[in-house]
This record gives sequence, C-alpha cells and structure tokens, in this order.
Amino acid sequence: MANLVEQLLNALALAGLLFLVSAGLSLVFGILRVVNFAHGVFYMLGAYLGFTTVALSGWFWPALVVVPPIVGVLGALVESSTLRFIYRRPPIYQLLLTFGLALILEESIRVLYGPTAKGVEPPVQLQGAADLGGLLYPRYRLFLVVLSLVVGAAVWLFLRRTRAGLIIRAVAQNSEMADCLGADVARVRTLVFGAACALAGLGGVAAAPMTTAYLGMGISVIVDAFVVVVIGGLGSIGGSMAGSLIVGAAQTWGAYYLPETAMVIMYAVMGAILIFRPWGLFGEEE
Amino acid sequence: MTRSRVLGLAALVALVVMPWVLARHQLSLLTDLLIFGLFAMSLDLIMGYTGMVSFGHAAYFGLGAYASALVLLDFAQPVPVALLAGALLAGVVALPVGWFSTRATGIYFAMLTLAFAQLLYTVAYKWRDVTGGSDGIAGVPKTALFWGGPGLASPQAFYFLVAACVVLSLVLSLAVVGSPFGRALQAIRENERRFTSLGRDPRPFKLVVFVLAAVFAGLAGALFAPFRGFASPEVMFWVFSGQGLMMVIIGGIGTLVGPILGAMVFILIQEVLSSYTEHWMIFTGAVFVLIVIFLPGGLVGTARRLGARG
Repeated sequence: MANLVEQLLNALALAGLLFLVSAGLSLVFGILRVVNFAHGVFYMLGAYLGFTTVALSGWFWPALVVVPPIVGVLGALVESSTLRFIYRRPPIYQLLLTFGLALILEESIRVLYGPTAKGVEPPVQLQGAADLGGLLYPRYRLFLVVLSLVVGAAVWLFLRRTRAGLIIRAVAQNSEMADCLGADVARVRTLVFGAACALAGLGGVAAAPMTTAYLGMGISVIVDAFVVVVIGGLGSIGGSMAGSLIVGAAQTWGAYYLPETAMVIMYAVMGAILIFRPWGLFGEEE
Repeated sequence: MTRSRVLGLAALVALVVMPWVLARHQLSLLTDLLIFGLFAMSLDLIMGYTGMVSFGHAAYFGLGAYASALVLLDFAQPVPVALLAGALLAGVVALPVGWFSTRATGIYFAMLTLAFAQLLYTVAYKWRDVTGGSDGIAGVPKTALFWGGPGLASPQAFYFLVAACVVLSLVLSLAVVGSPFGRALQAIRENERRFTSLGRDPRPFKLVVFVLAAVFAGLAGALFAPFRGFASPEVMFWVFSGQGLMMVIIGGIGTLVGPILGAMVFILIQEVLSSYTEHWMIFTGAVFVLIVIFLPGGLVGTARRLGARG
C-alpha cells in the first residue's frame, strides 16, 4: 500500500513537471500554429538560470520568481525577431526555424556554463522527507505536485475567466476573424510565446533540484512533451494535463516494474491511444 | 536535350573523373558528402514529394549502419551483402513505424516519427551486447566487392561504389516520382482531402513511400559504416534527423538533386566553421535560421527562379 502511494506520488511529481513544459508547447501551437522545437531549450535555460540565481543569492525562492520572467522576455524577443516573419509559410519552416534556434541556444548554454551538470540545492524548508502517516516521502516532490496544480489552475482560470484569456481563445479559434474584430493578433502571438517560454523556464527552475541542470535536458524533456501533447491533443490545456498524467504514470510504473523497457511502455501507450484517437484524447482534426 | 539533361550528364562525367583530379583526402571528403547526400535525398522523397515531414529519419540511417557493421565484422561478407542487409533492416523497421505514423498527418506525423526514432536510439544505446552501447561498433572493415572479388580498401574503389549507389538511387527515385505512383504522392501533398474524396485511400501510398525512403536512408547508413569504420548511436540521434531536414531545405525541397547538393553545402559549412571554432553549432544554427527566413526555395529552387526570370 505504502509502495503504491509512493509510486503514485512519483508519477504525479513527474506529471507536474511534464505539464509545465507541455502546457506551453500546446498553448503556442494553439495560437501560433507552430510546434516550438526550442521549447525544451527554454526549459533548460530556466534550470541553468535557476542555478545562477541560487548561486548568487544563496536562496532558492528568488529563482522561482526571477527566472520565469527573464526566460519569458527572451522568448518574446526571439519570436518577434524571427518567427514573426514566416507565419504564412508551411508549418515545416517554422519547425525548422525553431530547430535552428534550439541549436543556437543549447550551444550558447554550453559555452557559458561548460559541459558539467550543475546541482541546485532545494530550499531548506523542502529538504528531507515528510512523514505521510508512516510513509516517508521527499518534501520537494510534494512541492512539485502542488506547484504544478497551482500553475495549472491559474492558467486555466486565466484562459477561461479573464478578458485577455478570451482574446487568446478567440485567436486560437480563428485568428483572421479575431483580427477583424480588433484583436492585435501579432501582439497576442508574441505575448503567448513569451508566456509559454516563461512556463517552460519555471518548469526548468523547479526541475533543477531534482534532476540538476545538465546539457541535453532540453531534448529529453521535449521528446516526452511531444508524446504528452500527441496523447492529449495539441492546443488543449486539459489534454496536456491528461497526457502528462498518462506519461508520468507510464514512466514511473514502467521504471519500477520493467526498468529496461520503460521507454517502450510509454510509446506503446501512445501507439494504443493513437489507434483509437489519431488526434489525441482532446485534440481536433486539423 | 533539355538543360537538366545536360547538367546531369556533366555531373556524371565530373563524378567519374574526380578520382584523378582530387587529392586523397579530398576524395574521401567527397565520398562522405555523397553518403550524406543520399541520406538527404531519401528524406526529400517523403518530405518534398509527399509533404510528410519526418523528424526521425536518422533512425533508418543508423539501422542501416548497424546492420552493415555487424554483417561486415561478424560474418565477413562482401560489402554489397552488408548494403542489402542495411537497406532491408531499415525498411523492415520502417514498416510498423510507418503504419503508426501515417495514421497522423502534419505536425503529429513529425512528432510521432521523432518519438519512434528516439525509441530506436535508446535501444541502440542500451542494447550493449549487440550494438556496443555508447561506444558503438568500431573497426568495421571494407571487405570485397563479391566473394573472392577485388577488395574495396582503396579510397578510389570505395568512392566508385558510393558514387554508383548514389547515382542509381537518384535515377530510381526520379523514376518513382515521375511514375503514376509518384503523381499520386504529389496529389496527396497538394490536397490530401481532395485525394480521399476522389475515392483513393492515401495511407497505403504514404506507407510505401515512407518505407522506400527508409530503405534509401538505410543504404546510406550501410555505406557509412564501412567508410568511416564504425557505427555509433550518434548517427541515430535527433540532431542528425534535424540536420537531414536542414540539408533538404538548403538544397531545395522537392527536387531530389537539391538535397544532395544541400547535404554537400551543409557538411562543407560545418567543416569550415568547425576548423575556426569548436562552438560551430551556434553558427550553423544561425546560418540555418537565415536560410529558412530568406531562401525558402533553397539553392535549386532559388536558381530555378532566377533562371526562369533571366
């Protein structure tokens, strides 16, 4: 029983991190119709900037507040200086452009930080294990579960309950019509892209105490996030959440019962879902 | 004779005389360029002619490389046997992957192919007993042309083998895209819904061309292993798949010849940049971003446009 609860919490913590990354990926696709290959690198950038902030301030909490806006502004700059010019082209060009951007960013991080992984200490309050009625569980992972739930709820409320969220949903549904009705589509695109990058950056900061900041964390997370959005359906926040839970569960139990083939299980689950729903659980046919 | 025939003939003559013109290391660079050219050309079959963007094409190159390396090292068979094995393995693995992936289109297809390729990469990385894990398989020999036949160890001999494979593959691919089957592929690219509404099911067509592209990529990989003397998981990594897409775009999507040139330009840019700085990836990325924004037709597409204008 205790074991089951522990695995369940592990799955939730992993799903939480995946959600922070895949929600932004899905959001950007919904608004810009671009699959952002560089999204994982923004997550990695968040982890490294988190390391720097912790090293400078000696505290973890400031990193959680300072880093996401920095990554977000950088993302918005990148969008308005490159992607903006090629929205009319077929989707392959945007994917390839972000691939080029991913190379530039990843290599720049290697130049700045060197090849070795950077460890980040979790905040004092979240070190060690919490006693959950006899089960000792790392506090920091519990924090990850709570953080992603809070962020998920905030994103959902923002999209559903605010005027800005309404405009974003309008652009996602029909950008030309939204444009005619006076929405500043170009600005919405830039801001959404920036916000998605900020979310990825937040995910990176949050992940760093658990996984350390290392080169290659961007691609490993983006591949998982692709699987998440393929399962959940691109453009749907609810889909990202469902997909994150499924992938988190598949990876956690896969790693526990069949450690050598954990990856295979994730893809098997994805394949099984796609046979019945080629556009993902919550996706709509393009 | 049309202008393209003249150019093709000139290129063929140039390929034949190269071993007598170039120095040893230049010839081996050219061999390298041709192998990657074949890889990029195979990707163009699905990307340029059918509109399916695969982000996991490196997997089939890698499968070909591993199959070829094992056949040459463990069974000491002639090189053509290894080439067949490489192409075959790539095609056989592409069959189930293609069956799944072609259920989706557009960006879903790209993500699915990437996911499967990363899966295959992980297998190559973890299955130490067969693939040697992260070390890969080293010391792959260039054996003979056939049983008891002439050896292929000299740079000239191997160059001719590679050049012959590339020319043959190109001619075959041109025939395929010009055939009724190829017309059907281009119809799918232009408007898949229309194609379906005309009473045809696009999926078998997509599956066949996906497997065909994997076979050519496998052939390129099977040439790569004995040429470089090794097969390692890196050739299956996502970066290489992305580089393949770059080669196609640089050369000109949907032209078959373009991607071969694109691969050559891409590798040469990399060679030059990496001789100046170890962080060449930044500059490659930047060059690529600029090409995507400013030269959407690639080299061949832009040349044709200029030619049509002048």
